[in-house]
Amino acid sequence: MVDLSEYLPILLFLGVALVLSSLFVFGPMALNHVTGAYKPNADKLAEYECGFPAFEDARAQFDVRFYLVAILFIIFDLEAAFLYPWAVSLDKIGWTGWFAMMGFLVELVIGFAYAWKKGALEWE
Amino acid sequence: MIQAFAFYLFATMLIASAVLVISARNPVHSVLWLILGFFNAAGLMLLLGAEFIAMLLVIVYVGAVAVLFLFVVMMLDIDFAELRAGFVRYLPFGLLLAMVLAVEMIFAVGAWKAGSLEMAQRLVPIPSDVPNIEAIGDLLYTRYLYVFEGAGLVLLVALIGAIVLTHRARGGIRPQNISEQVKRRPQDATRNIDQPVGQGVEL
Repeated sequence: MVDLSEYLPILLFLGVALVLSSLFVFGPMALNHVTGAYKPNADKLAEYECGFPAFEDARAQFDVRFYLVAILFIIFDLEAAFLYPWAVSLDKIGWTGWFAMMGFLVELVIGFAYAWKKGALEWE
Repeated sequence: MIQAFAFYLFATMLIASAVLVISARNPVHSVLWLILGFFNAAGLMLLLGAEFIAMLLVIVYVGAVAVLFLFVVMMLDIDFAELRAGFVRYLPFGLLLAMVLAVEMIFAVGAWKAGSLEMAQRLVPIPSDVPNIEAIGDLLYTRYLYVFEGAGLVLLVALIGAIVLTHRARGGIRPQNISEQVKRRPQDATRNIDQPVGQGVEL
């Protein structure tokens, strides 16, 4: 069985976050119930003064260029994921492992240079 | 005790967020619930001792795949109310898929109870005393070097393919020319003149 005791502080942080966030959500609600008056009215939610009813959905379509940025991000993110076990066991795998990773990086640097040259990283 | 508590916390949160993914009205909310589900799955993987998969879930799935899902949801131009209308029509198909999944799970539990074949154990015995990440790192960059380099090539092909398919050269853009900027000296931009009194400046 693995030793999980090192993760205890993270679990404690999680518990603190859970307690604090539920406090901030439910605390004002409870306070409201005790002190405030509950009189819902449709006019309270209506537009007034300079406001006007919405013409259309607020959800606008994104440009397809965001998709390219996200794909490039995924690829370099995966590269980082490969670097992680390599960095952990670098002293055991020696020069073979070092050169293996350098070859991997060269492959991705070629891709990076291609993306740069094509102007895929440029926005406007 | 505390492990059981953490397990039940992560498991209930995971199932609750998975239910909310498919029942949320707004697809953007679905993606956000999915991210919460990924985090809880990462917690479960940590409890199992698979640290590398847990970290991968956080780095790759939460960091990149969820962003991609969000972009896809925002880029699609479909009426989601219309999409929901076919619930009854697709119900048999969905039930069939659920049944296949359930049968697979039953098979998996049965195989696990019967004891595994451990084919990989003969080839590469798993050391039980080193952490998960170190065990992967020891093998991936030495014994499985060619597969690893092949993975790099697959990533390269994916990168080039994404650029070829979606990148359009746009006219009229004025990108920054860094070398031009760095090469520029003060005397290229400024001029000292001895201006006589009472006359206009000639530009």
